[in-house]
Amino acid sequence: METAELKQVLKKQIVEFLNLLSVKPEDIRDDEPLFGEGLGLDSIDSIELIVLLNREYGINIQDPKEGRKVLVDINTMVDYIEKHRTK
Amino acid sequence: MLYFHDYSCISPQPTYGNPVLGQLLASQESKLFAREPAYSGIPPGILRRMGKAVRIAIGAALPLMKDPAMGIIIGTANGGMEDCIKFLDQIIEYQEGMLTPGNFVQSTTNAIAAQLGLISKNKGYNITHVHRGLSFENALLDAIMITRENPAGHYLVGGVDEISSYDYNIECLAGWYRSHGIGNEHLYQWEGTGSLAGEGASMFRVSASPAGARAQLTGIRIFQGEDLTRVEDELSGLLAEPGMNGQHIDLLLSGENGDARMLPFYNTVEKFMQRDTAIARFKHMTGEFATASAVAAWLACHLLEKQELPDHMLKKGLVGKEIENILVYNTFKGRQHSFMQFSKPLPAI
Repeated sequence: METAELKQVLKKQIVEFLNLLSVKPEDIRDDEPLFGEGLGLDSIDSIELIVLLNREYGINIQDPKEGRKVLVDINTMVDYIEKHRTK
Repeated sequence: MLYFHDYSCISPQPTYGNPVLGQLLASQESKLFAREPAYSGIPPGILRRMGKAVRIAIGAALPLMKDPAMGIIIGTANGGMEDCIKFLDQIIEYQEGMLTPGNFVQSTTNAIAAQLGLISKNKGYNITHVHRGLSFENALLDAIMITRENPAGHYLVGGVDEISSYDYNIECLAGWYRSHGIGNEHLYQWEGTGSLAGEGASMFRVSASPAGARAQLTGIRIFQGEDLTRVEDELSGLLAEPGMNGQHIDLLLSGENGDARMLPFYNTVEKFMQRDTAIARFKHMTGEFATASAVAAWLACHLLEKQELPDHMLKKGLVGKEIENILVYNTFKGRQHSFMQFSKPLPAI
């Protein structure tokens, strides 16, 4: 899957997984922060995203420090998925 | 006994905000779904994680939480069952692997009272009663006791349940719900078994003080059993209680639900009423669910205050004079029974 396509798929999955009622996948910018300002996700969402990576891409993030680097924005997530996905 | 100062209800009928009860809204595929408002008071980040039971309960409760309350007492049989089953399904689907926390956090029965406490920043008494068809009544009994201990305090009391696919399928198989064949406008003409599934959330701001009250609960009895003579005995006992004796019941609000197996219980209570007591029904508006009696309590408060009884609710008689006393009788599956008498509040001295 091309990077651009993967970004679109991931945005769709985030909206569905987190039930972001007022957000459309195409509204999420690639460099928009996921937490705090930007999408405004919180700590429970971070666990949901880790589960998403595990279920959809076979990625296990067990080190919180690693998670902080991955769950920054769509660009960092896609970069990590492309390097570590097992499915 | 217990004074009702404010009340709010989200149900399958337009009961929220400015209630309009005259026109009956129809069921969809043998279900009566709650009409959800826009929920402007719930932060979007919290709203997106809520299951329906939590949403409708908080939506109904928030207008009553503007003034301080000493605690929150909720009755629910199943809480957020839909999310609970989603969570349990995940355990099987992902072979006990990584599970998302959202469904679990929101699906425990006490998530409703807990979320209400968090949103309203209420750190007082926070209790959830789960007694199937008597959950709301147990919440009321708790409120009666705690307001006796704290006569100056106000409490939020409510009853809520949702239609979940799991519960609906099980109850259809067990014969308690009909999966097809009849709409709510003909609910009482059905001669078979089973009723329509329903859901709703009814919330009340209560205290032991009559000042500013809009209705009062003058008597309550709950019991379990399938014996008709027990129904007679409990009703006789309730009507003979101090404060109840000799009061004229203007209206019986019956929980009749179209299930022929329940009719003997409701007929027994009807026979006990005075000749000029009017009889009204509400399950064609709400459907059947374990805390439907909470909607009946909301209806009783509304009818006492507004004095408007829609024709589609009336089974027998017409209320010729002002409605001052309403007796609610409800049975859940013919095993759990409750009587609640609501009256116009006496003027504060």
